[in-house]
Amino acid sequence: MLRKMSLEERAWQALVNGILLFTLLAVAIPLVRVITMSMTPIKAGREILGGLLIPVSELSLAAYRQLLSHPAFLRSLANSAIITLGGTAMSLFLTVPLAYVLSVKGLPGRKFLNTLILIPFLFNPGLIPGYLVVTGLGLTDSYWAVMLPGAVSVYNTFVMRGFFEGIPEDFKEAARMDGAGEFYILRRIILPLSKPILLTVGLFYAVSLWNEFFGPLLYLNNAKLQPLPVLLRNILLASNVNEYVDFDAMSAAPVQALKAASVVLTTLPMAIIYPWIQKHFTKGTLVGGIKG
Amino acid sequence: MAWQGRSDAALLTRPGRRGNLRRHWTLYLMLVCPLAYFLVFKYMPLVNAQIAFKDFSPLDGVWKSPWVGLANLVEFFHSIYFWELLRNTVGYSLAKLAVGLPLAVILALALSETAAKAFKGLVQTATYLPHFLSWVIMYGVLLALFSESEGLVNSIIRATGGTPRSFLGQPSDFPFIVVLSDAWKETGWSAIIYLAALAAIDPALYEAAEVEGATRLQRIRYISLPGIADVIVVVTLLRLGTVLDAGFHQLFMLSSMPVMGVADIIDTWVYRQGVLDFRFSLATAVGLFKGVIGLCMVLVFNRIAKRASGASLY
Amino acid sequence: MARTLSIKLLALLVAAGIGLPAFAQAKPADVNFWYNAAASEAGQPPDSWAAYQIIKDKLGVNLNLVQLPSTSSDQDTKINTAAAANALPDLFQVQRDVWYKLVKAGLIAPVDSLLKEMPFRTKLRYSDTVRNKLVTLNGKLYGFAEPGALAGTDGFVIRKDWLDKLGLKVPKTIEDFYAVAKAFTEKDPDGNGKNDTYGFGGYIEPLSMAQQGLGSRFDAIIGAYGVAATWDITSAAKFGLQVRKPEFYDAMLFMKRLSDEKLMDPDWASLKKDDFRARWKQGRFGMMTEGYAALAMQANYKDFDVNFPEGEWLAVPTPIGPKGKSSEGPFMRSARILAVSARAVKEGKGPAIAKLLEWMQSDEGYYLLGFGEKGVNFNLDDKGLVSVAGIEPAKAYTAKPQAPLLQLKNYVYTNSANELAVRYVSFKTAKGRTMDPLSYWEAFKANKWSEETGALVINPPANGSDFWRFYTENQVKFILGLQPLTKESWAAYLAGLDKLGAREFEAAAKKQVLEAGFIK
Repeated sequence: MLRKMSLEERAWQALVNGILLFTLLAVAIPLVRVITMSMTPIKAGREILGGLLIPVSELSLAAYRQLLSHPAFLRSLANSAIITLGGTAMSLFLTVPLAYVLSVKGLPGRKFLNTLILIPFLFNPGLIPGYLVVTGLGLTDSYWAVMLPGAVSVYNTFVMRGFFEGIPEDFKEAARMDGAGEFYILRRIILPLSKPILLTVGLFYAVSLWNEFFGPLLYLNNAKLQPLPVLLRNILLASNVNEYVDFDAMSAAPVQALKAASVVLTTLPMAIIYPWIQKHFTKGTLVGGIKG
Repeated sequence: MAWQGRSDAALLTRPGRRGNLRRHWTLYLMLVCPLAYFLVFKYMPLVNAQIAFKDFSPLDGVWKSPWVGLANLVEFFHSIYFWELLRNTVGYSLAKLAVGLPLAVILALALSETAAKAFKGLVQTATYLPHFLSWVIMYGVLLALFSESEGLVNSIIRATGGTPRSFLGQPSDFPFIVVLSDAWKETGWSAIIYLAALAAIDPALYEAAEVEGATRLQRIRYISLPGIADVIVVVTLLRLGTVLDAGFHQLFMLSSMPVMGVADIIDTWVYRQGVLDFRFSLATAVGLFKGVIGLCMVLVFNRIAKRASGASLY
Repeated sequence: MARTLSIKLLALLVAAGIGLPAFAQAKPADVNFWYNAAASEAGQPPDSWAAYQIIKDKLGVNLNLVQLPSTSSDQDTKINTAAAANALPDLFQVQRDVWYKLVKAGLIAPVDSLLKEMPFRTKLRYSDTVRNKLVTLNGKLYGFAEPGALAGTDGFVIRKDWLDKLGLKVPKTIEDFYAVAKAFTEKDPDGNGKNDTYGFGGYIEPLSMAQQGLGSRFDAIIGAYGVAATWDITSAAKFGLQVRKPEFYDAMLFMKRLSDEKLMDPDWASLKKDDFRARWKQGRFGMMTEGYAALAMQANYKDFDVNFPEGEWLAVPTPIGPKGKSSEGPFMRSARILAVSARAVKEGKGPAIAKLLEWMQSDEGYYLLGFGEKGVNFNLDDKGLVSVAGIEPAKAYTAKPQAPLLQLKNYVYTNSANELAVRYVSFKTAKGRTMDPLSYWEAFKANKWSEETGALVINPPANGSDFWRFYTENQVKFILGLQPLTKESWAAYLAGLDKLGAREFEAAAKKQVLEAGFIK
C-alpha cells in the first residue's frame, strides 16, 4: 500500500469510495433517526431536520431504562440466546451435509434430490398445515417448536451448494486418491475452505432465529420460555393498546421511543458480531488456491 | 469456471466402480437427517395443504373435512381486484429484483475494491444494519421525511416556495417509495452473499491479471463478475420462484386508503380476507397458487440460465 | 395370604366406590385459562401467587394461566390456530367475530347450565340482557359476556387555550366548526409564529362493523349530518348502510371542503394511531375525537402537559348539522367474551370452571385478583373503599412491580363508581389544574350518540376484503380529490357497492340484528 498509486488506481479509488460514501449517507438517515427517536421525549418544535437530530440536552434514556429494567428482560435475553445459538447449530448441522451432497457432481439421483428440496420452497402451505405438524408432534412449549420448522432454509442450502460446487474438484480428488472418506473430505477439506459461506449462512440463520416472533407466539404458552422479541412486543403494544389503561399501565417513555429503543436493543448484538464476520470476507480466503 | 478443466465423468470413474458405489452410499448416509427433516417439516405440511381444496373443519380434521374442489381459489380469482393484485404483486416483485440486485452487486464490488480498510468496515456494517429496522420503524422514518404536514422534504419544498406533496398518499409517487425504501433497507444485507462469493475467488487470478496489465474495470468484468455469476443466478432464480411474494410487511405497513390501488398485493388481500377471518383453506389455496406460478417461473428461467451460464437450480 | 389380600382389595374397592365423589374432588382438575392480561407488558403472576394455592386448596382446581398476546390480531391468530388443531384451552377470552366462527365450528360449549352453578357472579356480571344478546346463538348462551369494556369512551374535544387565544367560542354548529378549524389553521393559535397547526386531526380506524369507512374519529363531523357510524340500527324499517342516505353525500362534501382547504392534518388518510397521538401531544391540531383514558390518564397526558402547560382539552358537545343532528359516534356496549371450549365440557371440567369463576367474584377473589393482598398491597378505609394509606409505596397495588398480581383484575372488576374512582385516579397538571379522566367520560356520555350495539352481531360478507376496501377507498378518494365528487360519481359509487353485493349483505345483516333482538 505504500507504493505510489497510479493515476488509474487513484481515480478508481475515488469512484469506489464515492459510491460507498453515498451509500453510507443514505443508510445513516434511518439509523440516526431510529437512535434519536429512541431518546426523544415527545416535545414540540424542538426537532432539527424533521426529527433526525435533537439537541443533546433533550436526550432521554427513559425508554432504555424502562425496557432494561423489566423483570423478565434477562430471562428473555437468555431464551433468545439459547434459541439463536442452538437453532443455528442445528440448522448448520442439517444444511451443510445436505448442501454438500447436492454439490457432488455425478451423484445418482442428484437432480431428483434437488427437485425434492425445491418443491417446499415454492409451495408455501401457509399457517395451519405447519401448525398441525408441530403441535401433532407434541412440541408445544418447547424450544424445538421454534427452532425446527425453519431449521433448513432452501435458499441457504442452494446458496451453500453453489459455493461447494465452486471448490476445485482436484482438492477432493487428491484426498480420495489417498483413500479419504466423504465425511473426512467434508470436514477436513470443504469446510475449512468455506468459511465465508458458513459464516454467511450461519448469520442468516442466527438473524432469523433472533428476530423470530411468530413461532414463540404460537407455540410457547409458558411465559418463562418466551424470547426477547415477544417480550418487547408485549411492552410496546401494551403501551399502544391504551384505550382502557388505568393506573398500572404507566409508561415512562413515549411509544415511539420505546419502539425505537427496542429495535436498537435487539439490533445491538447483531451489530457487534458482524464486524467479526466481516473479517473473514476479505479477498483470498481460499488460501493456496490452485489455478485451473 | 477456470478450474473445471477435466470432465466430471473422468474424475468420478477413476477410483473404480466399487469405490464409487461405496462413496455414494456414504453420501446418501449424510442425507438421512436432512431428508427425515424435510419429510416431517416440509412435506407433512404439504400433505396437510389438502385443506386448500376442502372446507376445513377442526372437528373433522384435515382428512375428514369435506372436499370443495377449487372453490377457495375461485373466490380469489373472482375478487374484483384480482388483476390489480396480480399486477401490483408481480410489479413490485420484479422491480425490487431489478433495482435491488444491481445495487447489491455494486455495493459488494465497491466494498471489495476499496483500499480504505477502516472505511470499508464502517460502510459494510452501517449498510447491513437497516435490515434490522422493522417496517414499523421504517414507516416512521418515511413519515418524518415525506409526510405532507411535517416531513422534511415538504419543509424544504415549502421553504423554497413549492407546493407540499403527500408522497406517501399519492398513487403516482407511492410505487417509487416502495421500491426505493426496500432497496434502502435491504441492499447492504443482500450484498453479504456477494461479498462472501467475492472472498472465495482465487487471488492468484487477480495477480495474474495485474501482471498482464488489465485495467480495474477489466478485472471486474473478467474475474469478479464471472466469479460471482453463479451466486447471482441462483439467487435470482430463487427470487423468481417466489415472484408472488412482494413483501407483505412493507406493503401492509406503508399502504393506506388513498394508495390502495397501487399498494394492495396478494398477501395483504389474503390477510384481510383469510387469516383474520378464520379462512385458513383460502390462505392455503392462494399459497399453492403462488407456488404454481413460482414453479413455472423456475422451469422457464432455469432453462434459460442453464443455457446462458451453465448454472442451474437442479 | 391370598384371602386377606382379596378382602383388603374388596374393602378398598368398596371404600373407593363410596368415597368416589370425595375422591374426585381431592384430585385437582386442571383448568387452562387463556386470559387477556390487564397489563400485558408486566408478565404473568409469579408461581408463588397466593391465588394459585387458594384455588387449589379450596376449589380443587389446578389453574394454568396463559397470557394472550397483546394485540387483537395476534390474539385472533393464536386462538384460531389452536382451534384449527382442536386444541383450544378450557377457558379463554375471545373477540366476537372469532367467537362466532368457533361456535359455528362446534368448538365452543353452551354455558347456560354453568351459570346456575355460579349464581353470585351471574347476578353481578352476566344479567345484562342487551349484552347477553352478543353471546346468544339459537337461544343458547355460548359464553360469558363480560362487562369489561366501557361504552362511550371516545368523544369530541377541543383546545380551550386556542379558543381563548383567538377569542373564539366553542363551536355550536357545523359551520361554527368550520370557522374554528379555519382560525386554528390560519391564525397561529399557539403563537409560535409558524404556520404549523391544523383545525382538526383524525385517522382511519375500522375497529368494528360499526366503524367502517372513515371510522369513528370523524363521526363528530359525519354525525352532524345524521349519518354517524356505519349502520342505521334505529328500527327494522330504517335498517341499512348509512352511505345510502343523501345526507351522507353532504357529509362527504363537507369533509372534502375541510380537506381541500387543508383545515385538517393532511396526513389523516395515511396516519396510524401512534402518529396521531404523537401529533396532538405536539400541538398539531386543536379538535379531535379521542378516548378519555388515552387523553387524560396521567401517563398519556404528561407529554402534552410538558409541551403545553397552559394547554387544555375541553370535552364539548359535537357540532350540530343543518338538520339539527349531532353524534359522538357509535355507542356500543361491547363485551369481552369468556368462552368455554366444547372439549373442556366433554372432559367434565364445566363444574370446575364454574367454581373458579364464582370464587373469583367472591369477596376473597375480588380483592385478591383486583387489588392484591389486604394489608400488603391495599387497605380498606372506614367507608370500605380501597386505599393505599399505610401501605409501603413499592408494595401498593397501584405500583408497577405489583402489576403481575393483578393480571386478572378485569375479570372481577364491576365498573362500580367507587371502583372506577380508584382505578382512574385524578391528578394535578404542571400548572396545578386537576385532571379527572372520568369527568371526560361523563361529559362524552352526556352527548348524543348513535346506538350501534347491534352492529356487533353483523358478520362480515363473504367478499369482506373487497367490499370494505371498495367502501372506504372510494370515500377517501372523493375527499382527497383523487376522484371528482359529484351526484353522478356518488351514484356510481353506490351502484358499485350494490354490484359487490351490498343489498344482499344488508339483508343478511338485518336478519342477524333482528334475530339477536336489537331491532323490531
